[in-house]
Amino acid sequence: MDPNKTEDKSTLPLLGRFLSWFTKTENSNKICLALVALCLALFLADFTYDKHGHFHIEEIPGFYGIYGFFMFTALILVAKVLRTLIKRPENYYGDKAIDGEDYPNDQLEQGSK
Amino acid sequence: MISILPTAFIFIASALILGFLPRGHIRSTILLATPVLAAWHIWNLPVGIFSQVEFVGQTLDMMRVDKLSRIFGLIFCLAAFLGNLYAWHVRDLIQQVAALLYAGAAIGAVFAGDLITLFFYWEGTALASVFLIWARKTEGSYHTGMRYLIIQITSGVILLAGTALLYRDTGSITFERMTLGSLGTWLIFLSFGIKCAFPLLHNWLQDSYPAATITGTVILSAFTTKLAVYALARGFAGTELLIYIGAVMTLFPIFFAEIENDLRRVLAYSLNNQLGFMVVGIGVGTEMAINGTASHAFAHILYKALLFMSVGAVMLRTGTSKASELGGLCRTMPRTAMFCLIGAASISAFPFFSGFVTKSLIMDATANQHYPVIWAILVFASAGVLSHSGIKIPYFTFFGHDSGLRPKEAPIHMQMAMGLTALLCIIIGVYPDPLYALLPYEVVYQPYTMGHVIGQLQLLCFALLAFIFLMRSGIHPPEIRAVNLDVDWIYRRLVPTFYNIIHVATVKFFTYFDSVINDFIQLTIKGLYKLLGPETGVSRMRGVGSMVVWVAILLGISLISSYF
Repeated sequence: MDPNKTEDKSTLPLLGRFLSWFTKTENSNKICLALVALCLALFLADFTYDKHGHFHIEEIPGFYGIYGFFMFTALILVAKVLRTLIKRPENYYGDKAIDGEDYPNDQLEQGSK
Repeated sequence: MISILPTAFIFIASALILGFLPRGHIRSTILLATPVLAAWHIWNLPVGIFSQVEFVGQTLDMMRVDKLSRIFGLIFCLAAFLGNLYAWHVRDLIQQVAALLYAGAAIGAVFAGDLITLFFYWEGTALASVFLIWARKTEGSYHTGMRYLIIQITSGVILLAGTALLYRDTGSITFERMTLGSLGTWLIFLSFGIKCAFPLLHNWLQDSYPAATITGTVILSAFTTKLAVYALARGFAGTELLIYIGAVMTLFPIFFAEIENDLRRVLAYSLNNQLGFMVVGIGVGTEMAINGTASHAFAHILYKALLFMSVGAVMLRTGTSKASELGGLCRTMPRTAMFCLIGAASISAFPFFSGFVTKSLIMDATANQHYPVIWAILVFASAGVLSHSGIKIPYFTFFGHDSGLRPKEAPIHMQMAMGLTALLCIIIGVYPDPLYALLPYEVVYQPYTMGHVIGQLQLLCFALLAFIFLMRSGIHPPEIRAVNLDVDWIYRRLVPTFYNIIHVATVKFFTYFDSVINDFIQLTIKGLYKLLGPETGVSRMRGVGSMVVWVAILLGISLISSYF
């Protein structure tokens, strides 16, 4: 169906209607704010108990959060550079690979809702 | 010697009779009953070595039962059951027989007490599993299957060579802990390494798993690599080299997974990364680390199968597993989406999901042995897992931009398989004690401490925050239709190109050489023709008169010369 058209939500299953709430652009700010609040709470939670990890670095408040944030960002940036080096057209390996071919129709059970 | 039925024979017997049964539900029921029967058989096995048989002067131990082989045997049965339930609709006898023989061979290998038995089953897994790739019945899958088979069989041949050398050195073929040193042990190590997808030897995995059938990939994901993990844990526990190999394995696939478009290949890279954690555990080699590896393999088989199942269900309904073509499917496939999210949470090791209680054993065992750099790599790789399996798979399939596709929900048997697997992922996460009780060594470990839970949640939530930040700022790479080069480029492109160049050059050289010889012969013939041919003076016909004149001249000359 055309994604620009507003569809009749009542035909969707209940769980589907619930999950589609997360896909709406107007809700993305709410989700974002909730996640920021959660991250803040997790950061503050570090002060509520005695930290004793295997390494000293673990005792820095919010160590895992900071490490996670920056390493994740670094991962994406490196992956972007990697893509420019190794990206090739889909049919690069020709008929000796499955990338350029369709999955056989007789093995599918397609159908729209 | 007590003789008991080797568990693998249950699968082989089922595979043999399957063809004589009517198509449809009866066959599918046998496919479900076989692993249940086998699991019950394994559960009731006593510990020890059984079913010894004589073979060309060697004693083969068909059944070596201990806690390490038992847990792998059980999870293989569980994986076979769930995979076959997922494949309930498949009516292709070849795939059904292949699935049974493949699971049987993997279980046979796990219980093998000697290297010869291991070799037979090792090759058995290769031969049986390739049919799950060929069953797609396309040109691409045929070639991919051939590449897969060549590499898998090579691994077995190397294992046999290593075994022969080891036998020459030690006089024993028993499959027990080895120390790297002799050529024999190195060859066996290499053979295990190929099947375990060590860095640079890994590409058969990412090449072949996305090429199998929808149900075939789910079955493939469980056995081969985890059999290799078992073999390494049995043969090379505590080999320090494995720590570094494992760390590299956790690291490099996360970059490739990030930019890969085919979601089943993303999962194959992710599988490679998860194997890395297990290999590090084997390298550390303490009781806690081996427990970590065994439990992580157990949990991993489940959540990885669950993720492959959910992507497979999407593929069954839409015909594609490419992220660039999907998005927004949560509207009409919400249950599949939920199961996928549970798999994603489990692999990302969110507290109360299976990955959390098993991966932390490996992480803590590594930290306990004071490997700070390796530990930091593993923490980074954990964030990487979240990136491709935790976020990318569910987000770009079920959420993200709306592809406009409104496929039907997955068939009911697929939902049952996914639901059951998802339930197991949660049960293991919430109540890990029964799994811990199955582990090779006694577990004295509490995964749910305040520091653990908060630390892990921080890592994951802040990484999630980074993802949102990168998406909103447009830095996150978009999903595009493309393939990415990896090490397999060497044997898929470089070597054939090189071969082609040599081929063309050889052909050109000989064609040139030929033409030179030809020219020479032709020139010679032409020259001789010109010199002595019918047109030349030599060959001209002359009259009798001129001969008489010449004879008279000659006679005259001789007459004159006689006077002097």
